[in-house]
Amino acid sequence: MITISNLTKYYGKNLAVNNISFTINENEILGFLGPNGAGKSTTMNMISGYLPMTKGTVTIYGNDISKKPMDAKKSIGYLPEIPPVYPDMKVKEYLKFCAGLKKIPVTKRSEQIDYVMRKLKITDVSNRLIKHLSKGYRQRVGFAQALLGNPKFLILDEPTVGLDPEQVAEVREIIKELKKDHSVIFSSHILSEVSAICDRVVIINKGVIRAIDTIENLEKKFTSNFIINIKIDGDKEKAQKTITSIEGVKEIAETRNEEGNVNFFSIILEGEADAVRGKLMSELMANGLSIVEISTEKPNLEDVFIKLINQPVKKETLSDILEAMPEEKETASDNADADTDKEKEEK
Amino acid sequence: MFSLYKKELHSFFCTPFAYVISSLFMLLFSFFIGSQIADMTSSTIKFTYPDLFYNNIFYFILLIPLLTMRTFADERKLNTEVLLFTSPINVFHLVIAKFLALTTVFIFMLACSVVYPVVTAMNGEIIISHLISVYIGFFLWGIMCIAIGMLLSSFAENPITAALLSEAVMLALVWLDTFATSDFIARFPKLQAFIAMFTAQPKFVYFARGLIRLSDIIFFISVCVVFLGWTMISIEKRRWNRG
Repeated sequence: MITISNLTKYYGKNLAVNNISFTINENEILGFLGPNGAGKSTTMNMISGYLPMTKGTVTIYGNDISKKPMDAKKSIGYLPEIPPVYPDMKVKEYLKFCAGLKKIPVTKRSEQIDYVMRKLKITDVSNRLIKHLSKGYRQRVGFAQALLGNPKFLILDEPTVGLDPEQVAEVREIIKELKKDHSVIFSSHILSEVSAICDRVVIINKGVIRAIDTIENLEKKFTSNFIINIKIDGDKEKAQKTITSIEGVKEIAETRNEEGNVNFFSIILEGEADAVRGKLMSELMANGLSIVEISTEKPNLEDVFIKLINQPVKKETLSDILEAMPEEKETASDNADADTDKEKEEK
Repeated sequence: MFSLYKKELHSFFCTPFAYVISSLFMLLFSFFIGSQIADMTSSTIKFTYPDLFYNNIFYFILLIPLLTMRTFADERKLNTEVLLFTSPINVFHLVIAKFLALTTVFIFMLACSVVYPVVTAMNGEIIISHLISVYIGFFLWGIMCIAIGMLLSSFAENPITAALLSEAVMLALVWLDTFATSDFIARFPKLQAFIAMFTAQPKFVYFARGLIRLSDIIFFISVCVVFLGWTMISIEKRRWNRG
């Protein structure tokens, strides 16, 4: 199991990753989702041992990446965003070099290299210089490198970026297959990609984790409520009263004035939409209000994603604030410590 | 470490790089031999290889940055640094492997220059012990320059900056000798003695005279160790300060 706890990274004074913690289980594909600049690559770089962290620990099958880097790195295969290939080398030469670098026993090297080349379908370009290969093939060569030595834990940073649709599908299939013997963390800014192959997702934005759950649970949690969008011609207050009096209406999410006497309401429902819609329409008409337009919608996962990454970090309800208080105090004192350290350094 | 060493050699010898730089070195060497022979007026044909090497070091130091410029700056540019740092090797292995590979290329360059003494020996006489001494001195001088060049490459973002930086430092290295013997510094004997401790060229002169002194060998090797150690620290520091 891979455990990431309280991982924090400062670039100078900029906070890139803020106190994030999660775990990756055996034979699991964990999606790491966030918009560009969310801190995905920084986190990946810290997990792989490339970047030192400002605070926190990364434990890979019992080995701390900072304390026992040699042991920890043996179980990691890392494909960074830009594949780390040498343009002046041939594909096979490069993979041989990587096999040596990863300390794969000499007797097993050629067998391993053949295996990864077959898996990534690069056998036909094995004798070509990497600089003559297309972006897609370079990506595959980088991927092959990550698979060498059969590491238990794979870190894939946006492995499908810049590939054509066919290649994207192929790479996804490969990642799915890898689940049998590996734990995979896979980053992307495309939701559909993550939902297609990942068991769980971590949604991150501005260095903070917004949600960790399975796609199904996220869908259930955030998309269970139907929404009715309705435009009503008539008195606004009367319309509001009528809507809230109807059973099955949870709340009015949004109100805005359209032309003249026409008002727009976005209503969140508790139960199924059909029953409420009927009731709503008859009640409104009984009260002398006329319906200009009505539509029903169910928020999709994309909306959830956008909502999650855009939600403010501030706690909203009083109980949340009270719950978070000791945690915030801790971070505040940590920051104060960091500040005094900086001051000391400056002195 | 061995695979990294092999890969480095591959990047020098399987590309025109090592051959181009050796050719440049040989070109310089041949110019000197040519001009020395052309300058001879007496009937006794006599010139010394140590003199030749001594004159050569001033031009040779401008070649070394071309050799070392890619060491770390290129890895950074190609993003292959990630591969090295996420593999189970440490910075010590990384620096030593690269240093050994550069030293191998340098030995190849030196080996090319052996052709002249061999031809001379076939038609005349050479003092073997003297020649060996100057080769040892030249080798030590070379690895010192390589260590310095590697450090400067670890500072730079791209090979061109690394090369320019190294050229400047190499020139400063030669200038330090001139400065140490200047009239101005001679006025402060203690300061002069202190600066002289760090000048490499006078130490090379002993080798050129056929004198192998342990203190000089220790000087060159310790400079190498200091600069290689500094390179390791610089690489680690860069990882911490990245961003």
